[in-house]
Amino acid sequence: MNSNTRPFAEQYPDIGTGPVSTVPAVDPAFFEQEREKIFRKMWVNMILREEDLPNPGDYFVRDIEVLDASVIVVRGDDGKLRARHNVCTHRGNRLVRDESGSCKGFQCDFHGWVFDNQGKLAFVTDEQRFHDLDKSNLGLAKVHLDTWRGFVFVNLEQTPSQSLEDSMAEFNQDLKPFPFENMVLAGRYRYETKANWKTTMNAFQESYHAAFVHKRSVRQCLDDPSDPYLAAQRIKLQENGNQSISVHLPPHDLTPTEMIAYSMGATFTQGGDGNVNAFPGTAQEKIKNWAFDLNIMFPFSRINVGAGWYYVDAFWPIAHDRTVYELAFYFPMPTSAGAMISQEYSKIVLRDLSREDLFTNEVTHNALRSGAITSIQLSDQEIAVRHQYEKVTEFCGLGEGAK
Amino acid sequence: MSNPLPEPFTHLTPYRAWALPTEDARMRQRIDAPMSEITAYYKALLPEIEPIAKHLDQWPLAEIPAQQKPLLYMAMMFMETAMCVEFFYEPDVPEALGAEHIDVFAGRAEELVNA
Repeated sequence: MNSNTRPFAEQYPDIGTGPVSTVPAVDPAFFEQEREKIFRKMWVNMILREEDLPNPGDYFVRDIEVLDASVIVVRGDDGKLRARHNVCTHRGNRLVRDESGSCKGFQCDFHGWVFDNQGKLAFVTDEQRFHDLDKSNLGLAKVHLDTWRGFVFVNLEQTPSQSLEDSMAEFNQDLKPFPFENMVLAGRYRYETKANWKTTMNAFQESYHAAFVHKRSVRQCLDDPSDPYLAAQRIKLQENGNQSISVHLPPHDLTPTEMIAYSMGATFTQGGDGNVNAFPGTAQEKIKNWAFDLNIMFPFSRINVGAGWYYVDAFWPIAHDRTVYELAFYFPMPTSAGAMISQEYSKIVLRDLSREDLFTNEVTHNALRSGAITSIQLSDQEIAVRHQYEKVTEFCGLGEGAK
Repeated sequence: MSNPLPEPFTHLTPYRAWALPTEDARMRQRIDAPMSEITAYYKALLPEIEPIAKHLDQWPLAEIPAQQKPLLYMAMMFMETAMCVEFFYEPDVPEALGAEHIDVFAGRAEELVNA
């Protein structure tokens, strides 16, 4: 066991060790600050891969509620991927109502205006009755789009204050070897919770909770008396708010079902073939019993990599007390039934386990709203939670009465 | 059910109602089922999963014949019931966000098999 029980405070001395104010988690006014000072400036992880839209005309629509925006990502006939506001330039009707599809162009269901798949206004019904309509200037409003290792991001600022590559910061290097392009979507989940986005996310930023929250679902990994709380061996905090946490799981007996699943592919708790070198990834060779890395892209999305799989998730803020958790799990495309059956096991484990994580959020949020406590106490193992509060406070400032 | 499962799995035909084509349907069936039925299904299918996988592996995933697909669905349904039997001891996840707050969407393989 590590003789130093609080290594991370030493590693990051500027972050402090005191109680952390609950204001950022419960104050609706703080949420408004976050909206303007953080969310409006971020690169939005669309939880979409370039290869999800392989052909001209393929499109995907995502509503970004916190910014009152709906964005279409579409591959044009010229092969280029673009992002456009999902708003008809005639009178502002929502243009596309489907979540995804393929088309030559989009027709508004209000008065029939048509936009091509490169966003240009292609056709106006009964055009001769308009006055001086300049169709060349009435294409769909542009949204900045960029990709990182095949992941599609958009930015809703007029001019992005930072490039996507800059905002990925140390992930450019740390995630470089991971073979994202060799895997495809295996399952996708959307969970609605009545809690602040940070309160929701905080349950996913440390492994300290596993012994309680996951006492059933990963029971087999909690038997090591020298490591009952799965104390993280590596936590990396980046200057811009990005974070990485290595999670390890002690060697454990497999249940009969995981044994079957593992014989036909990688599993969530067991990884690839038990040989860490099989994972061409990040920091795993330095971590004893490495299981996976949680990689948090400030403010609220993650690309979490394991041996033989990865998952992308986001804690979408909807309102100060509402969050949608979305999770997309990626595996190599199964070519056989055996591989598909094996992957189904890990999908279900992660899906059910996430529901355990989300169980405490609503009650915690309500408890914090009551004002019964005005600060939370964080251990060295919860330094990523502390770092998140420090960063949002740095951007938004704390209102009257806080601290 | 009258429609028998393919050889050599005809003896599993009584469980054919569990052969649901989507993860969403399987999850909800599991949550709604009594634990006694879940346990019976788990016990009946446990020794059959590897034989089913071997049997289905004679076709590429995209070419599994329609009459064979219930076997694939039943093997994946087994994975749902395994959570209940091996970890939770009840159909749903205890102390968890309610399933009514969750949407489950298909991955690529599910789309391919059900196309």
